[in-house]
Amino acid sequence: MSSLLETTGLTVTFGGLNANDNVDIEITKGSFVGLIGPNGAGKTTFIDAITGFVPTSAGSAIFDGHDLSELKPHERAQLGLVRTFQSLELFEDLSVRDNLLVAAHPTTWYTLALDVFRLRQSNEEIEERIDWALEVAGLTGLEEELPTDLPHGQRKLVGVARALAAQPNLVLLDEPAAGLDTAESNALGGHLRGLLDHDVTVFLIDHDMGLVLSVCDFIYVMDFGKIIASGTPEEVRSNPEVIAAYLGEEAGEVQARSAEELRGISDTAGE
Amino acid sequence: MELIFGLFAGLAAGSVFALLGAGLVIAYRGSGVINFAHGSVAAYAAFTWDELRDMPGETGIGNEGGSIYLPWFDPIPEWGFLKALHINNLPVEIHIMTDPPAWLAMIITLAMSAFIGLLMHFLVFRPLRNSPMLAKVVGSVGIMLYLQAVALLNFGAANRADDGFWVFNSTSEPIANFIGMDDKNLPRSTPYLALAAIIIGAAAWAIYRYTRFGLATRAADENEKGATLLGYSPQFLAGLNWVISSVLAGLAGVIFLHKTMPNQLNLYVVSALAAALVGGLTSIPGAILGGLGLGAFASMGVSATSYSWWPEWLPVDGVRAFAPVLVVILVLYFRGHKLPIRGTVGLGRQPRAPATKHPMVGVGVGVAIALVMSNIFISKWESTLTMTLVAILAMLSLVVLLGFLGQISLVQWTLAGVSSFVLIRLASDGTKVRPMDFFVVWGPDLPDPIAALGGVIAAVLLGLLIGIPALRIRGVQLAVVTLAAIVAIEDLLMRNRPLMGTAAHTMNPTPKPKWFGQYVGALDEQSNQTDYWKYTVFAIIVVALAGIFVVNLRRGIIGRRFLAIRSNERAAAAAGVNVARTKMLGFGVSSFLAGLAGMLVAYKMPMVTSEFFSPFVGLAMIAFVYLGGITTVWGAVLGGMLVGGGLLSEFGSLHFEGITQAYINAVGGIGLVVNAVLTSGEGISLTITNQAKALVATMRGTTPNEGEKEEVVSTEEVNV
Repeated sequence: MSSLLETTGLTVTFGGLNANDNVDIEITKGSFVGLIGPNGAGKTTFIDAITGFVPTSAGSAIFDGHDLSELKPHERAQLGLVRTFQSLELFEDLSVRDNLLVAAHPTTWYTLALDVFRLRQSNEEIEERIDWALEVAGLTGLEEELPTDLPHGQRKLVGVARALAAQPNLVLLDEPAAGLDTAESNALGGHLRGLLDHDVTVFLIDHDMGLVLSVCDFIYVMDFGKIIASGTPEEVRSNPEVIAAYLGEEAGEVQARSAEELRGISDTAGE
Repeated sequence: MELIFGLFAGLAAGSVFALLGAGLVIAYRGSGVINFAHGSVAAYAAFTWDELRDMPGETGIGNEGGSIYLPWFDPIPEWGFLKALHINNLPVEIHIMTDPPAWLAMIITLAMSAFIGLLMHFLVFRPLRNSPMLAKVVGSVGIMLYLQAVALLNFGAANRADDGFWVFNSTSEPIANFIGMDDKNLPRSTPYLALAAIIIGAAAWAIYRYTRFGLATRAADENEKGATLLGYSPQFLAGLNWVISSVLAGLAGVIFLHKTMPNQLNLYVVSALAAALVGGLTSIPGAILGGLGLGAFASMGVSATSYSWWPEWLPVDGVRAFAPVLVVILVLYFRGHKLPIRGTVGLGRQPRAPATKHPMVGVGVGVAIALVMSNIFISKWESTLTMTLVAILAMLSLVVLLGFLGQISLVQWTLAGVSSFVLIRLASDGTKVRPMDFFVVWGPDLPDPIAALGGVIAAVLLGLLIGIPALRIRGVQLAVVTLAAIVAIEDLLMRNRPLMGTAAHTMNPTPKPKWFGQYVGALDEQSNQTDYWKYTVFAIIVVALAGIFVVNLRRGIIGRRFLAIRSNERAAAAAGVNVARTKMLGFGVSSFLAGLAGMLVAYKMPMVTSEFFSPFVGLAMIAFVYLGGITTVWGAVLGGMLVGGGLLSEFGSLHFEGITQAYINAVGGIGLVVNAVLTSGEGISLTITNQAKALVATMRGTTPNEGEKEEVVSTEEVNV
């Protein structure tokens, strides 16, 4: 298994505070990797840094053989490094389908001419990819709705579907399950696992510990901008440092808890 | 030495920039609005003062003197049966007394300014308080257009030569031998003006710094609840700040009256904005210093033009107009994203931009109607029809840039002018085109499609240049930059005789256009009498193609990307859209259409003046396309008919006497405000479509669609 994304010593500084501090993360092709950590740990900052939305102050990120440091956000997206946002960030004036089409259609310098003279035939491949993305996100049948007319949970999923429509190699999901109920969350988890069959590698941040622990192959744990632990779900679940980070108690004082308990706590923290 | 004198002489204009800038800061802090109409308030006050002080027998409309004119116009036209009905018209003129003393005139003038401030607050900005930033900008542009037009209706276009009060008039003895320079006389008012700006600025600063009211305003600026805790209603504070801001504008207008014509004050808002930006839009001392500095800086630039080494192609007026643009761009650049303009994060919900499904039907009907009209009506209507076509084309350029891409650029009509002037320059050959021409223009005598192409390319290049700041500067800030650019382009490029030819500052004779052997001008090739037939067909073809072009753009990939950028730039970048390049594409396409509009103007008229492309015509275009519907091609068609000289407005003037361009612009300004307040900027075309859909739905017994529901909600909010 080759490495798809590898960060070495990645550091992001906001006015003297290291939001990400020497982060080394490796995501292998075809894997399902999770990142968990308490609020304010720097998880979203990490996605922002990889996708070019905040500048890094040190360290490097290599994606599929490309050094990302010189690339703009849209260039990273065009390489197949696609993200979703925690705070929706949808095209609210466009229908769900158009939201996906913006991401799905590649453009060239003469696209404008094709548009104006209506020279393009419909593209089977893009249509199929959009239908697939809608299905994964559970939005089939809602194509013509405006995002603002959908409930919050489904709006989140429009963001997921839009990322999938962009033909990603690696999709970075920032809390896609926030706002979903348990059943919806489970269904989403199942659909996301299915992405691996489509050559899409997944990197998931979520507060829903049940979701993360059940779908991920490998999990990183972040606190105060640093990676404090990593391993399989079982290893992470029983790691005393992780428990301490979530409970704010001395490491080792607390017995390892079940995933269900952890989940309840983190849900409260999430609100 | 010249430069040092220039520095001091510039303090006069600088003091007005400073006072207007301070007023802008106060209004901004009071209600978060950048008031583009601020200069127009000053202009209205200057007219009011002058009208009060007029002696009987002086020139001007109100030559009685001692009257005030309320800031509206008589809405009921003087037409046959309406007159017979004895409808009481709205009172406009109120006679106070003949030859009122200066102190009384001053009080009345400032009261008028305060009244205008209150009207703006209650009729426009209070209803818009929860609207997107865009709606507020559009609202204030509407007021600017309205006040300018009403001043024209109430006070006429004549220049005012009245003197101000006390030292602020042109008859005071100048300060001779200033700083040891024998040949330089500094007007006596200059140091007093600077002093007045500093004192008034310091007083305003102290009020906001030390009084409870000032504290509450600052608290409300941060957080509306803050003011409530201090026992003030946020809306009361906003209203009071509007009054203070407008009174300062009035004061500036009066004390500067001897230096300028009141109408020029309308566009002084550009320099005032530059001054306010120096103060970060929140600091009164910053605005005062910024204004004085800007005045001195511009004046030094003007002094520098008298040196022998100064290049001839940089005219004096251009230098003066370019100074504020330079300041605006530098400040916005160095402050970057940190500029505290509220609402830059999200402009809020934008008007919907539905794709037209069957454009050919509409185009077919439109072309058919236009052809029929051009063939069977008298030439009066041909002129009107072709003016409508020109306006539609200009408005299509606005639909692309403002409607689809969401970039509030006010400059597109000016680009049409540049295209027109470059075309004339390139097609001229240095001989008299028509016997009636006053001037001949030298040029390379290019054949016509190529000269037109040159004009369009010039417009596109300039449009792209203006687009560059838009990569960093968004929303309201972009509106500020482009308003400044209008003034700079007009003085620096269009009226630039070395660049644009000998007649650039006045009546620029247009060449006789021939496209591939076919004459397409509106004046007959031999007789030089109007003969519209060929031109009309040509214009119909160009506009129809442009219409189809824009419809297809909206339906295509690029159009969708424009809307994505309008909605959310971050998300667009994350979806792989090259935001910078796509924005530039939008500026290019829009400027291309504007350039074509400029070409149509050059082919229509025997001569073109820069007045035809004046900022207020451009703002009227924006007003009417917003009214028609900024996001649809139909909106542009409707707007083109409504604009002054267009089909509907001409139809109006045929049936109602006294409907002039100014009248139409005033109505347009009101329309712009009403549209912003009531339909959240969607315009007539979409509102009609919504109503029709709702009607159909009701008849079928289903519920009306979402757009309809929202409209009802927004109307209720206004009523509350």
